[in-house]
Amino acid sequence: MMHCTMEDLGALRAGEGSVWARRHIITCAICQAELEALYQRVAQLKALPTLRPPRDRWPAVRAVMNSERARRRRSRSAWGGTLAAAALLAGVLLVQPSILGQSGNLHAELTQAKQQSATLEDSLQHYDVDGRVLSGHCAAVVAELEDRISDIDGTLATLTQRNVGEQDAELVKLWRQRVGLMRELVTARATRARYVGL
Amino acid sequence: MTVSLAVPDVLVARAQAGDEAALEALYRAFETPVYNLARRMLRRPEDAEDVLQETFLEVVRNIKQYRGEGHLWGWVRRIASTKALMRIRRDQLRATESLDDEPGGRAMHVGANLDLERAFEVLSETSRAVVWLHDVEGYTHEEIAEQMGRSVSFSKSQLARAHARLRRMLNEDVGGATL
Repeated sequence: MMHCTMEDLGALRAGEGSVWARRHIITCAICQAELEALYQRVAQLKALPTLRPPRDRWPAVRAVMNSERARRRRSRSAWGGTLAAAALLAGVLLVQPSILGQSGNLHAELTQAKQQSATLEDSLQHYDVDGRVLSGHCAAVVAELEDRISDIDGTLATLTQRNVGEQDAELVKLWRQRVGLMRELVTARATRARYVGL
Repeated sequence: MTVSLAVPDVLVARAQAGDEAALEALYRAFETPVYNLARRMLRRPEDAEDVLQETFLEVVRNIKQYRGEGHLWGWVRRIASTKALMRIRRDQLRATESLDDEPGGRAMHVGANLDLERAFEVLSETSRAVVWLHDVEGYTHEEIAEQMGRSVSFSKSQLARAHARLRRMLNEDVGGATL
């Protein structure tokens, strides 16, 4: 005698059984028992104990959330800093062109540091910073680095109010610090990328 | 798992405004159901933990897009199940695991007296996901097929095969039929 398959029973459970299956189940005690067992199994699955996370993942979520917020703030302040630096440079060119000649080396170093910083920013984009899951420790390191970079960007943005002659050396120092921190940030991201094999 | 988690609208509004305490309250409200869902679908506990983290990162990033249509748990659960299914798919691609392959099953003697929870653990992640989403979470085959990027018949056949396998592993004797 032909019996219902598990697909037939599943369809009967969903009220979608074939005509044959619906007729068969009325007269076949074996298939009735199988259908009942299926109902019982599903009821038991629903009654399985709730599994609880072994560790608190909120600190890691919060660290990533805060690092993303810091990055957004940094992007905004960096944009402001860039505009301020451009305005400053325009002012120097118009008002005191001789200063440029005296501090040619500093300017070369400044340009180099800015280029390195931009290159590192590009490198960072390769690590899908928004889509990656970080460990709590790694996320905290990244958040700290980003906060420090954000602080430097803030200082760069306010430098325009200082004496122009002192400013070049200060700028070079800050941009070098920024490059160093960017390198650490890229390393932190790259290490995690290798770890997950992506 | 039946979840009836009522989240006050004011809490959602605060979370949407970026209030960290409100976001943490949402995490605390849903961490266990999200982990349970992911853990039932995935074999490795650490993968379920990663899904928990990924889910709440997405919740934090996109909570503003939640318009209050339907229960918040439904929205969070959808994110969590999608993340878990993505992980299953990615692992299958990496390990070129056949959809029919059930790694734990080889060591398990058919007919051994297992309890349901252990038997369920033996199923492949694809089978577990389909069984859990359909039988416990109440997803339709159409919804599962859409989330898995598969056909409705795939979902139905996975469910039937998973139940047939569970039945064999549990050594159920309900009258001598062989399914």
